[in-house]
Amino acid sequence: MPDNTGFLPLTWPDMLLMAPELLLGVGFIALVVLDLFLPRRISRSWIGGLTLASLLGAALLVWLRMNEMNVGAGDAGVLSLLGDSYRIDDFGSLMKLIFLLGTALVVLLGLGTASRDDAITDKGEYYYLLLPAAIGAMAMASSANLVTLYIGLELMSMTSYVLVAMRRRNDRSAEAAFKYVVTGSISSAFILFGMSYLYGVTGSVQLSGIGQALPMAVENYEAFVYVGFGMMLAGFGVKVAAAPFHAWSLDVYQGAPTPVAAFLTVVSKGATLAVVLRILYSTGLFAAIDASGKGVGDDMFFAVLLVAAIAMLVGTLAALRQLNVKRLLALSGVANAGYLLVPIGLSITMVHSNNVTELIFYLAAYLLMTIGAFAVLTVVSRAVGHDELRGFAGMYYRAPWTAAAMVIFLLSLAGLPISGGFFGKLFILLGAANAKAYWIVAAMVLSSVISYYFYFGFIRQMFMRGGSEERITIPPAIGIVIWFCAAGTLILGVYPELLVEGIDAVFSFQGDLMNVE
Amino acid sequence: MDFYTKSAWVIPLIPLAAFLALTALGRNYRKAGVIIGTFAALASFAMSVLVLVERFGQDAVDYNYSFDWIRISGYTLEIGFEVTNLTALMLIVVTFVALLVNVYSAGYMKNDERITVFYGYISLFTFSMLGLVLSDNMLSLYIFWELVGVCSFLLVGFWYTKPAAKAAAKKAFIVTRIGDAALLIGILLLFWYMPDHALGFTMIESVFEGQGGIIATGITTVIALLIFLGAVGKSGQFPLHVWLPDAMEGPTPISALIHAATMVAAGVYLLARTFPIFEASLFASDVVAYVGGFTALFAATIALAQNDLKRVLAYSTISQLGYMFMAIGLGSWTGGIFHLFTHAFFKALLFLAAGSVIHAVHTQNIQEMGGLHARMRITTATFAVGALALAGIPPLAGFWSKDAIMAVALEQNLFLFAVGLAAALCTALYMTRVFVLVFLGKPKTGSEGGLESPTVRAGGAGGAKESPRTMTLPLVVLALAAIAAGFVETPWNGWLGGWLSGEEAVAHVSPAAIIGSIAVAAAGIYLGWRFYGSDRTRPAVVKEAAPWLARLLERKYYVDEAYEFVFVRGLRALGTLLGAFDTYIIGGLVKLAGSAAGISGKMALRLQNGSIGTYSLAAVIGMVVLAAAIIGRRLLS
Repeated sequence: MPDNTGFLPLTWPDMLLMAPELLLGVGFIALVVLDLFLPRRISRSWIGGLTLASLLGAALLVWLRMNEMNVGAGDAGVLSLLGDSYRIDDFGSLMKLIFLLGTALVVLLGLGTASRDDAITDKGEYYYLLLPAAIGAMAMASSANLVTLYIGLELMSMTSYVLVAMRRRNDRSAEAAFKYVVTGSISSAFILFGMSYLYGVTGSVQLSGIGQALPMAVENYEAFVYVGFGMMLAGFGVKVAAAPFHAWSLDVYQGAPTPVAAFLTVVSKGATLAVVLRILYSTGLFAAIDASGKGVGDDMFFAVLLVAAIAMLVGTLAALRQLNVKRLLALSGVANAGYLLVPIGLSITMVHSNNVTELIFYLAAYLLMTIGAFAVLTVVSRAVGHDELRGFAGMYYRAPWTAAAMVIFLLSLAGLPISGGFFGKLFILLGAANAKAYWIVAAMVLSSVISYYFYFGFIRQMFMRGGSEERITIPPAIGIVIWFCAAGTLILGVYPELLVEGIDAVFSFQGDLMNVE
Repeated sequence: MDFYTKSAWVIPLIPLAAFLALTALGRNYRKAGVIIGTFAALASFAMSVLVLVERFGQDAVDYNYSFDWIRISGYTLEIGFEVTNLTALMLIVVTFVALLVNVYSAGYMKNDERITVFYGYISLFTFSMLGLVLSDNMLSLYIFWELVGVCSFLLVGFWYTKPAAKAAAKKAFIVTRIGDAALLIGILLLFWYMPDHALGFTMIESVFEGQGGIIATGITTVIALLIFLGAVGKSGQFPLHVWLPDAMEGPTPISALIHAATMVAAGVYLLARTFPIFEASLFASDVVAYVGGFTALFAATIALAQNDLKRVLAYSTISQLGYMFMAIGLGSWTGGIFHLFTHAFFKALLFLAAGSVIHAVHTQNIQEMGGLHARMRITTATFAVGALALAGIPPLAGFWSKDAIMAVALEQNLFLFAVGLAAALCTALYMTRVFVLVFLGKPKTGSEGGLESPTVRAGGAGGAKESPRTMTLPLVVLALAAIAAGFVETPWNGWLGGWLSGEEAVAHVSPAAIIGSIAVAAAGIYLGWRFYGSDRTRPAVVKEAAPWLARLLERKYYVDEAYEFVFVRGLRALGTLLGAFDTYIIGGLVKLAGSAAGISGKMALRLQNGSIGTYSLAAVIGMVVLAAAIIGRRLLS
């Protein structure tokens, strides 16, 4: 091998650094065994509770580590392990916190729905399989090496294939899982193909190594560099469900249990975005331009922005005619993938360098509003027995406070004040305007305006249609999710600086994404 | 003393508390809505009066309290409230009309099953509108701006079992959102270009008034036009006015509160608050003046041809708002606000009186009414006051405020002066027509439809009874306001303008404007009376005694015919034509935009045929397209 990619074994000190991931791993194995030996009559909700506990424990460990690394005057930089293929840095830690919070909310959603869903035969599995998925997402956020990254991605994908198929007595669930496996494999093939080209022309799988070899590679084999990055972008495009690579997501979300759909929209998408950001920035791709600002770096960032624009517009336009709420939320996820890709695709310029803050802020807002909307959907669909939009009819009269919470989520999704979504979009918009990418600003504004129409369709149903008069009961676990998300959305909408300052305090572009040796 | 000024932030919170209480109570406590809603409005009104009294003090200074809301790397966003003479005046208008509408609704909505929800919505609206008025910066104004839009949507669609109401609510929301999007872009541009990213009105004023090229003229014009477009949407100006007549599907008290007195006037208020920006851009001011003038005339002619009582009033509102924009565009924001102030009273009065009529006869078609004056004396008298005020007959309120605008127009722009006069003629004409058809003559019940006519079954115009005291009391109070409100500023005493702007009060006596206004108003009423009021059965005695007199009368009749042809038929034809233009061209354009989005959505959905083969192919094609786009971009540059 051209460079020292001889992987070092995991040492004891390393174990301490990987404590959050290991905690989840140990928890996973323990729960598998427990599930096997626990008598059938004992409710599997206990396993859900333990899953939740391990996720929160892991989040606490990540938080402690992040605080420790930022104590004192200077930034402690990066802790590398496993032969520099795995790195603990602030970007990774922030992302991990978001993923763990998202997964924990998904477990709570599961606790509120699974016990009454007869289509789910193995309720224990339903909870503990989320743990390896979370480990995969964390590994993706932390990897500094194409191989580690790919392993993390596959770990997350494989477990989500199973999770989608969880409603075993439901044909749609099986169909969704099959489609997800096939599309997921195609995307993996694209990614591996791209990676192999990149390795071929740079001789390294290490992101920093690729960065060092990139100028030479561009000079000698420019076309291969294009193919390498292009294929990877397409593969990741499938994973984040950005148009035109999004078509699978509607069928899969519709078939999957609602909490799993929430996991896919938030955690799976977020982890893939983290990876795209790492690949584009840690390899120094933005520097791969010639004197006039052209070159492979410029073209790749343009491609990301183009995908973002297409995703925003296709997502919102297709949603105009969608009457199934799960498919509608899937399309909203497509459009939001577009918004989230904008800060990544804007690249770094002299006047605009807080892309990561914008990304993380909107990802957090997106997590809260989307999981909140899915939580309301679980309540409504159980009360009416289907996932269609008309199920929301007269909801204001059936559950006024839940309807109020839903209004908050919708305001946020539509990007209206006072909500986290408003500031998230605003920051991205201002960033794009700062970077003088006016066409993407126009695409964002246009798709936002169109999206009012269908988000507004919910409000019309909830307030202006008569329906059943019976009150909807809300399981406590789901009530917690709804009000946590609603409060979070409002807090982000009233005091966005809390999160922005928090991110700015720990994150530094130089120290966390670039490799300062 | 400025105790009440400093605690003005309480004013919006009272209705908010009422809304929360009503939501928590649920709809089983039917009386609670009336009591809580009305008392909250009363408390807000009392507070507003106290604030206003303090503003009359000699040493009253504008009070602004704000705190840092958002502090992000380098810039700070402040939020707070501001009490100036203008906001104090608006507080009075909003709380006064809200209070009366609350009282009135106790009678009007008495039998509605969801009356508590209704009162909850009204309280929420009052909160949002007061918040809008008190905002000290563009961003919080925008937030409340959206909130009042949501409340308007909820209330227009309040009777959601009626398909027309549902459609109207949707239309109102979507059409105004076009303007709102423009306003948001305008605010973002302002944010971008203002020093220190300040969005406060005080800062805007000092930046644009003392402008030494801080913000380029081109950008100023763009910002001003975007803000104006926001106002166009909210205040129903051409071409975004289409939602307002449809919004009449809501309960009538709502039409009075939201779609006549307060929310639709928010656009005028916005322009008054950001007036320095318009002052800095001559072009934008001209656009405002011409759009306003055009709308004033355009909507007034359409009102001539309408048969729905509330739609006539809706077009009349659009037309009067046009006057206000014309005044602001001509540089007299105080004139615009003065007309807003008087218009709030007499138009709310007209709507509530119309509601009283509709409540009694159960129809909105003025052709099916008639002869109500004998049975509904209070309603008739108060409606007459409102109609005369709207027509601009001295000494009622509408005359003074319209005259203030006409005087400015005469000074600045003769063409717009003529447009204003023409619109005033139409105004007097359609109000006379409505008044005659609804209140005078004989009840038309049963004349055409026989027993099938819905008006007969419901009692009809013949069996109409005066409305209950809760409904007539607000009418009387508003009628008094419509009589007296105009005296705050007369051609000989520019008190209101001076008080609002903080400058020396100037008199603006303009005999030509006064005489012109009175003349066209009188002419309008006379024409209306001739064609709708006069009893055409001439005594045969005249013909026998003096054939020449009969001929003269007959000739007179020819003149009438000519008049009718030129003025009434002609204007009505124009009205019908413009109405058609409105429905088919403007409405068509709106529909086109909608269906274009719909069709592309359909195409995007066709991809979802459930087959993974298609999905993968789409992904591959997507890649090829991306590659082509990258190559194409390379080749182009």
